[in-house]
Amino acid sequence: MEVNVTYATQDFWTWWFAVYLYTGGLGAATLAVTFLTDMYLKAHRNLVLWGAGAGVVLLSLGSLMLFLHLLDHLAAIHVLNPLAMINQPTAWIAWGTQFILWMMVWGVVYALPYARVTPLFQNMQLVGKALEWEFVVKLSQLVERFRKVIGWLAVVNGVGVAVYTGLVLQSFPAVALWANPGVPLLFTVSAFSTAMAFLLLIMYTILHEAEDEHIRVLYERIDLVLISAELVIIFSFFFYLQRGSESAVHSWNLLFHDMGWLIGFIGFGLIVPFFLELKGVIKGWASHFPIIAASVFVLVGGYLLRHYFMYAGVYSYPW
Amino acid sequence: MTKYAMVIDLNTCVGCNACMAACAMENQTPVWDTKAWRTYVHDEEIGVGDDVHRRFFPRLCNHCDNPPCMTVCPTGATTKKANGIVVVDQDLCMGCLACAMACPYHARVEVTYGDVRKGKEFYGSDYRRTRPSVDKCSFCDHRVEQGLKPACVETCVGSSRMFGDLDDPNDPVAQMVASGVAQPLMPHIGTRPNVYYINDLKWRG
Repeated sequence: MEVNVTYATQDFWTWWFAVYLYTGGLGAATLAVTFLTDMYLKAHRNLVLWGAGAGVVLLSLGSLMLFLHLLDHLAAIHVLNPLAMINQPTAWIAWGTQFILWMMVWGVVYALPYARVTPLFQNMQLVGKALEWEFVVKLSQLVERFRKVIGWLAVVNGVGVAVYTGLVLQSFPAVALWANPGVPLLFTVSAFSTAMAFLLLIMYTILHEAEDEHIRVLYERIDLVLISAELVIIFSFFFYLQRGSESAVHSWNLLFHDMGWLIGFIGFGLIVPFFLELKGVIKGWASHFPIIAASVFVLVGGYLLRHYFMYAGVYSYPW
Repeated sequence: MTKYAMVIDLNTCVGCNACMAACAMENQTPVWDTKAWRTYVHDEEIGVGDDVHRRFFPRLCNHCDNPPCMTVCPTGATTKKANGIVVVDQDLCMGCLACAMACPYHARVEVTYGDVRKGKEFYGSDYRRTRPSVDKCSFCDHRVEQGLKPACVETCVGSSRMFGDLDDPNDPVAQMVASGVAQPLMPHIGTRPNVYYINDLKWRG
């Protein structure tokens, strides 16, 4: 029917949801990368403890953001039930909630044997005692025996969380910026890129272990590939939006006329770290500072991506 | 089978907003919040110069056959009944607002803890709501089950709103939809809505 169409953005899910998407993707990918490194590259207690610790904290922070904004907090019990995935198989929040919960469970369980032999945890009053409980000791022995099974359970859930953060936006059909298969891909690539940056930052500023050079080099190379992939996806989005439906064109106008998106995200979040890491991979840097700077830029860029995505989704209301 | 639908004739809507009032009282909606109407009437001016007219455009949940609000609901609070009416179970809804994000018709409204408290004061002991949720039009299913029409249809002074069964070939609503004179909004999105509109611009020239 002939109608006037009004183009409008939404104010249901704003910056706090961007924080949820960001910390969810970053936390899950960090956990997955550290466990894969520990399983196949080098058994690395400190990296696992940092990865698992940061992952669980980030995932909790993101989940808290969503929880605080629920209209009925008590009713959240319905989505904590794993059967929610079977009852509502098309609802990505149902899947995402389970992925996040189980990711945290497997993350803590995988790190348990390392935590038991770490003085920091042994010396904590309550934690130190809990680590000596018979149940915890047996669980820890079991984890050591089935380390790779637990590790892979965590990795699968981690990838699930990263993909979910894009799928949840893809399921909103009225907004061209979101309802396309590029979003889960973009958010997954970005989640793993920010995780690489986060781990590089940890390894260069806190862990400082000289024998980890090969891990840092590998992370830099992987991050370079991921940033390149992200640039290609953003390039595709540029044309998809510019020549797309009216909703897409309005989103294009919002994004590509905004200096925060252009300079903040694409410039400093992608292009600058790309060249900093490219030089590091090809010729190397005399100091660690450029890679640390690149990592910080990627981490800030990762948030900006999700922030602008939430604000630039345009609905076409028929009136 | 019964499949309920609504046809709204834009030629006869006079913009009296009686449908909004009837809906609010029937469904005890938070009338103190100007953004929380289950149904509302857009008032717009169309045209330029001397050739301008007002168009009243009633809006409500479209009770889609492929409702994206139901697809994304993580707790299963939004469901579609066998008669085609899409309803919200306030006890299951946790208010994540995914349904509001998914709805292309801007038909979902927030009812908060504060609204529930105010509702108890405003509507008194008859107040039925117990929990917050993301509310929406239910085609007054509690009335429809008793053989009555939705409150907005019952009260419409211009008979602009018509309610009927699409599966009954003798129902005037089904006939208007089948003839193509009544058209849905934004069918290209794939939601297959069950609220249809009869265009007014065609006749006004």
